Amino acid sequence: MEFNEILERVQDVFRDVLENEDIVLTSQTTANDVEDWDSLNHIQLVVAIEKDFKIRFTSHEIQSWKNVGKMVDCIVKKKA
Amino acid sequence: MNLKVHDRFEETFTVSDHIYEGFISMFRDKNPLHTDERFAIEQGFNGRVMHGNILNGFLSYFIGECLPVKNVIIHTQSIQFKNPIYLNNKVFFEGVVTNIFESVNAIEFKFSFKNEQLKEVAKGKIQIGLLI
Repeated sequence: MEFNEILERVQDVFRDVLENEDIVLTSQTTANDVEDWDSLNHIQLVVAIEKDFKIRFTSHEIQSWKNVGKMVDCIVKKKA
Repeated sequence: MNLKVHDRFEETFTVSDHIYEGFISMFRDKNPLHTDERFAIEQGFNGRVMHGNILNGFLSYFIGECLPVKNVIIHTQSIQFKNPIYLNNKVFFEGVVTNIFESVNAIEFKFSFKNEQLKEVAKGKIQIGLLI
């Protein structure tokens, strides 16, 4: 799967979990840019992404994400 | 983590007078379906229908007291009510670990409650987090 395809799917997950159809993600997006992306919702986002893509992250991987782009990079590697 | 996918837990609960009266006393839901025998029978039930949310109290007990870990918090839960429960009914609870998300220390269970005829009265999902 390609980066942009995954980014779009991650965006759908964000919209679903955070119940906000207006969310637009880019590579540079961080938690500070998305309303309601707090620590509890972060858990729900990770769980939903792991389910949606049928992958599992490690806590080390999650801690290394500086923005959505890094998250998507991680998914790209797992789906390669 | 002490839990793994497919781990199964069972508990038996009774919707006792004490629980029923306590629920009404605390939450003040005195809807006639729950408190008026005749009204409940007129609605097609066998008697006063117990509050479905009493089952959520049992769920809270399961998560808080029955797991091999105590550092837990409930993230989300959903429940569907399938059949009525009546005063002094026994309900058989079963919870099964369906997913473990080690990256965020979260565990998902599916659960069901069955009555003494082994008919499902409620089912749902619950996701908990392990506090570090």
